[in-house]
Amino acid sequence: MFGPFKPTNPAFSGLLWKIPWRMSAGQKYRQRKRLQAVDQVIATVEEGLKSKGLTCKALERLNAELPKESEMLPRDKYTTFHRRSPNYRIGLHKVAKWTKRSIRTNPKGF
Amino acid sequence: MSYFRVQLHRSAIGLNKKTNEILRTLGLRKRGSVVYHNITAPTAGKILAVKELVRVRLVDKKLTKQEHNLTMKSNPGYYVIKEENH
Repeated sequence: MFGPFKPTNPAFSGLLWKIPWRMSAGQKYRQRKRLQAVDQVIATVEEGLKSKGLTCKALERLNAELPKESEMLPRDKYTTFHRRSPNYRIGLHKVAKWTKRSIRTNPKGF
Repeated sequence: MSYFRVQLHRSAIGLNKKTNEILRTLGLRKRGSVVYHNITAPTAGKILAVKELVRVRLVDKKLTKQEHNLTMKSNPGYYVIKEENH
């Protein structure tokens, strides 16, 4: 059937938004840029503190725990741990506020 | 004397209350607003707490609001050679 009555999911159930299971190339590109921007902020703060001979706890923790964009695997850049998904992975773009959070590491063993 | 120049690049709307409060303590209210902070460990900690939302530069001079606005001005495409008095 064609026209307005063709049997598609949006036609039958009204508003239907679907999030694709994987990120598009553009989404991944912007994600990399965001990761690099965060790395840049950390590097600048470190440089400023070093110039004064200071350090801070948050910086030490980030340096120890947060991998840099260049050190990350594509798997960790674009997907993340999810306990109810097959293979325990989920696209990062399905996580709430994923563009405003640093989600880079996995739980131990995953 | 150098400073952290912190600009709020991404809004904290929809983020948790703590993030919003940290931005307020840094003096950042609107997206695009700029603040200057002395380089100290507590300031660095606050900036790192909102590292996904801000852009940071190390600068030697604090710009006033007027000076900052001048840097944001677009090129008008002409320059004034002489102004005549009427």
